Amino acid sequence: MNLNAAILGYGAYVPIYRIRTEEIARVWHGGGAGPNRMKAIASYDEDILTMSYESASQALSMANYPKIQAILVGSESKPYAVKPTGSILSDILGYNSTLGVDLEFACKAGTEAMQLISGMVSAGTIDYGLAIGADTAQGRPADELEFTAGSGAGAIVLGRPNGREVAKIKHSVSYVTDTPDFWRRPHDQYPMHLGRFTGEPAYFTHTTTSVKMLFSETGMKPSDFKYAIFHQPNPRFPVEVGKRLGFTDEQLRPALLNDDIGNTYSANTIIALAKVLDMADTGDMIMLASFGSGAGSDAFVIEVNSRDDDDGYVPFSERLRNYREVDYATYARWRGKILK
Amino acid sequence: MSRVFISSASALPVSEYWTKSLADLMTDVASKAIDAANGVKIDKIIVGNMMSGYANHQEHLGALLASSLGMRGVEAMKVEAACGSGGAAVHEGYLSVKSGEYENVLVVGVEKMKDMDTPKTTKALAMAESSDFTQAVGASFISLNALLMRLYMNSYNVEEELMDYFPVIAHKNAVTSPHAQYRKAVTVEDVKRSQVIADPIRLLSSAPSGDGAAAVVLSAKEGPVEILSSEIATNDLIVAQREEPLRFLATEFAFKRAMQKSGINVQDIDFMEVHDAFPVVASLALEAMGISKRGKAPQDAADGRFNMGSELPILTFGGLKARGHPVGATGAYQIAEAFMQLAGTAGQNQVKGAKLGLTHNVGGVDTTAVIHVLRRVE
Amino acid sequence: MNVIPIAYWRNRKVYTRMIGTKCKDCGAEFFPPVRVCKKCGSRNLEEKEMPKNGSLLAYTKLSEPAQEFKEYAPIYLGLIRLDNGVNVISMIADADEEKLKAGARVQATVRKWTEDGKGGLVYYGYKFRVLQ
Ligand SMILES: [Zn+2]
Repeated sequence: MNLNAAILGYGAYVPIYRIRTEEIARVWHGGGAGPNRMKAIASYDEDILTMSYESASQALSMANYPKIQAILVGSESKPYAVKPTGSILSDILGYNSTLGVDLEFACKAGTEAMQLISGMVSAGTIDYGLAIGADTAQGRPADELEFTAGSGAGAIVLGRPNGREVAKIKHSVSYVTDTPDFWRRPHDQYPMHLGRFTGEPAYFTHTTTSVKMLFSETGMKPSDFKYAIFHQPNPRFPVEVGKRLGFTDEQLRPALLNDDIGNTYSANTIIALAKVLDMADTGDMIMLASFGSGAGSDAFVIEVNSRDDDDGYVPFSERLRNYREVDYATYARWRGKILK
Repeated sequence: MSRVFISSASALPVSEYWTKSLADLMTDVASKAIDAANGVKIDKIIVGNMMSGYANHQEHLGALLASSLGMRGVEAMKVEAACGSGGAAVHEGYLSVKSGEYENVLVVGVEKMKDMDTPKTTKALAMAESSDFTQAVGASFISLNALLMRLYMNSYNVEEELMDYFPVIAHKNAVTSPHAQYRKAVTVEDVKRSQVIADPIRLLSSAPSGDGAAAVVLSAKEGPVEILSSEIATNDLIVAQREEPLRFLATEFAFKRAMQKSGINVQDIDFMEVHDAFPVVASLALEAMGISKRGKAPQDAADGRFNMGSELPILTFGGLKARGHPVGATGAYQIAEAFMQLAGTAGQNQVKGAKLGLTHNVGGVDTTAVIHVLRRVE
Repeated sequence: MNVIPIAYWRNRKVYTRMIGTKCKDCGAEFFPPVRVCKKCGSRNLEEKEMPKNGSLLAYTKLSEPAQEFKEYAPIYLGLIRLDNGVNVISMIADADEEKLKAGARVQATVRKWTEDGKGGLVYYGYKFRVLQ
C-alpha cells in the first residue's frame, strides 16, 4: 500500500543488563555458546510497560510531544492477559484522548503497529500516533531459544510529512500464512517451536515473499536502498536472507544487533531502525522487513529526511556500549525461573 | 486543677511471650501496678498501643483490658501515636487527672510484635509514615532513619563509629536492668561488625522488636513522683517534605513547652530517657533539646557525657536499644523507669540522688514527640 | 493483598507522572501533593508536574524491606533533591553502589514497584536512576 506517513520521532530502549550465552551454555551444556555473544535481559522491575515507556519517552521528546491519538503496543509478553498495556501507557504518558490497543503477532507485532498507524495518518483519521514494539521474551530454560530471547522496546511517533520529519514511510506490504513454526497457548509460560522448521518454510519464505511484493509494487530494487533491515532472530538469518534478495554486506551490516542483545522479538526491527536512523543522511532509502512466527512479514520503504538532535541526544549504539553482565542465577531469579 | 502524681509503676521484661496474649500482657502488668498502688479504685483506663489491629487482629484494647481486669463500668480507651503511643497514653492520663474529673487513672502501654514475621513487622512499623506516599515507594521505617543517618554523617562529617556509642551506653546499662531484653554489654567493635540492615544502620544500632507491657497508676493524691509537665508536638508526617530534615521540630516544640510549664532549668535534670530507636534519632533528639550542639551528640556520647555517674546519664535501664522497643509500650516503659529512678527503687541502675528526670518518646521519625518532666516528691 | 488497589488507582498520576502541587499564593511546590501550603497556609493550590531530574543526597540499601517488596530485596532507596528544590524519597533503579554518591545526578523513570502475587495487579511508579 502507498503511504503518506512520516516518522517524527523514534526511540529504542534496551535494559542495561546482559547475560553471555557462554554463561547459559555453561549451566546447561557444560560449555560452548549460543549463536550470539550476549542477550539483553530486563531487570526484576522492568517489563514491556516500563520499557515501552522508556522508548516512547525518547520518541515523544524527539517529536516534541505532539497530540497523540493512537497508541498501539505490539508484544507477546504483556503484563496482563486481559487489561490493555496501551491504556496504562496512555495514562503514564498523559495522553488519555487516544486509542490504546495491544497487538500480538510473535516478533512482528511492532511493525504491525507501525503499519496500522501509518495507514491511519495517511488516511487522515488521526494526526499523530505512537507505534511500539516491546518484549521481555522468554525461552524455556535449556531450550535453544534461551540463548537468543532478549528484552527491549522500540517506539515510533508517526504523523504526516511536514518538512521537518525524520523520515517518510512511503510504502508497506504484508504477507501472512498459517505456518506453525512457533506458538504459545494461553497460560503457558514458554513458547513451543518446531526447531529447524522456523527457518526455511517460516522465516525465509515469508520474508523473501514480502520483500519481493514490495519490489514489485514499487518497482524498486536492492540497489535503490542505502540500508536494509531484516528481522534478526539470530546473527546469521538477516544476513542470509538479505544476500538471497540481492543486498550487500554494506547495506545489511549497519542494522545488525543480535550478537549484542539477542532477539528482542516485537522490538527487533524497530530498534534496528532506530540504530540505522541515527546514522542515516537526508535522501537515504531504507528497506525494512519484519518477520513474525505463525507466520508473516511486513515490509516498508522508508526515505530519510533529517533530524535535529537535542544537545543531550545520545545515539543508540553509544548507549548500547554501557552494560552490566549478570550470571545465570541472577537472570533466573529476575525472570521468574526459580520455583518457590 | 489537680497536680498529677504517679502512685506506682510496673514493667514486664521485654521478651518473646510465645504463651501469652496481648490481653495477658496488659492484665499482668496492670495487676502489678494496681497492687503496688495498694489496690486503689481505678476511674479510667488508657491503653497506649500502635499496631494491635494489624499485628494481633485486635482493636478495642480499652474494653479488652477493663473486661480482663473485671472492672465492669470503668471508662477505657486506646490511644495511638505510632511508637509514641505509650507516651501519648500517659499524656492523656495526665490530662484526665489534672482536669479534676478523675482521681486514679491506669495507663498501660502494650505491644505484642512477635506474632508477626519480619516483613510483616516492617510493614506494621512503616504505617507510622504515609501509606500512599512513603510505604508505596518501598521506604520502610528503618530505611527512613538510614537516609537520615547518612545525611547526618555527611552534613556534620561524623564517622559511623562515633554513632555506635549510643548502643554501647544502652547495652552497658541494660546488664543490670531487670526488665531489659538484652542484658549484655557490647563494644563499638561489636556494633561495627554486626550485620547491615539498612546501610548504614546495623543490627546492633537499631532497637529490637519485642513483646512488652508497662503500666503506671496516675493519681491526684500525692505519691512518690510528680509529673511536672507533659507535652506533645508534631512535625511533618512525610520526612522528605521537611525543609530541614536534620531538625527534630516536634522534639524542639515539645521540649520548649515542657521546660516553660515545669519551670525548671535544663541543667537541673538528673537523667533522661531518650528515644534511641537508632543512634541518629538519639543524636537529633539531644541536639533538639539543646543538650548537645548540632552534629556533636555522637562525640558527647563517645566522651562519656551520657554514661551512668556522669553529668547526664541517659537510657538508664538500657533504652530502646537494649531494654527493648515494644513500640506502643515504649513510652510507658520510660515513665515506669523514671518513676523507679525518682522513687529510689532503681536498684543497681539507680542514678544517685535523682530529683528530676525527663522522658522523650517519639512516634515516627520525630513526627510525634512526647516529653514528660518528672520530679521526686520529697 | 499488600497494596490497596483503589488507593493506587487514586494516586496513579502522583506515582507515574510525579504530579505534585504548587501554591497559587506563594509559589511553593510540594511533592507528594499537599492540600494546605506548608509555607504560607494557603488552601489555594494547583497540580504541578515535578521536574524529573535531581541530585542524590543520601541512599540506603535495604536488605529486609516490607512484605510487598520482599521479592526484590535488596532494594535501594535514595533521598533526592529535585531541580526545583523539592526533596523526594524514591527507590533507585539499576542501582550500582559505586555510583551512588552524594551529589550524583539522577533522573526519574517508571519501573515496576511491586505486584500482588501471581494473579494480582502490577503496580508501576517512579524510580530514579543515576545518569551516566
Ligand atoms: Zn503558599
